[in-house]
Amino acid sequence: MSTPPQQTYLARTFDDGRYAWARSRRVRRRAVVAEAALVAALVGATLIASSVSGWSTPYFVVLSVGLLGFVPLHSVLNLGIRGVYDRDDRSLDEHQQRMRERSFLAMAWPATALHFLAWAGAATVVALTEHVVPALYLGFLLWFAAGLLPYWHLAWTSPDEPADLDA
Amino acid sequence: MHDRIAVLRADRGVSRRELADAVGVHPQTIGYLERGEYAPSLALALRIARFFDLPVESIFSLDPLPSLSQELLRRTP
Repeated sequence: MSTPPQQTYLARTFDDGRYAWARSRRVRRRAVVAEAALVAALVGATLIASSVSGWSTPYFVVLSVGLLGFVPLHSVLNLGIRGVYDRDDRSLDEHQQRMRERSFLAMAWPATALHFLAWAGAATVVALTEHVVPALYLGFLLWFAAGLLPYWHLAWTSPDEPADLDA
Repeated sequence: MHDRIAVLRADRGVSRRELADAVGVHPQTIGYLERGEYAPSLALALRIARFFDLPVESIFSLDPLPSLSQELLRRTP
């Protein structure tokens, strides 16, 4: 049996009407594309760094700027899906819980594949280049992307929310 | 799943938010129910039926529901 959602501070933030602009499908999909492109760019930069120089100042700058840029981007995406992956179960109703589980299950196999790729990619980079730090970052980024897949799936597939709640 | 939630809300003058608060879900969930994009759990369907003080089968159906005016005309001798 479902229970009424409890309004925690975090839940109130994600339900705040000031962030309604982030919940439209167009904004959500743009956030997914931007976030995926950023992660792909960081993976590319890591591969280039591992094949050219290993750990270097330009690579450190690219990584730092990329990860700092990720914070506001993920905030927008998370607002778009009302933060259902970061909230306590008790603050979600049955529909929100079902949407969350649906995307998590849909991305289970791709996430498993990315986890495997993280280990295999890091091991391959070390074996071929002997650069340990970029290899660790490659593994981290792919593992990170695996965790983001359910967010992206939910943000991409959720229908636009019904408007006018007080009607 | 088909339902008459929107018609009943309009008839009783109840907003989505008021119904959601009464049955313990997020207001958006009522919107998804009305648009037929979500099939409620049995517990939620029963809570909605209790809110409107109607049998659950008069609000939810697996088949398209006839309009209330049609039903009224059919029952009028």
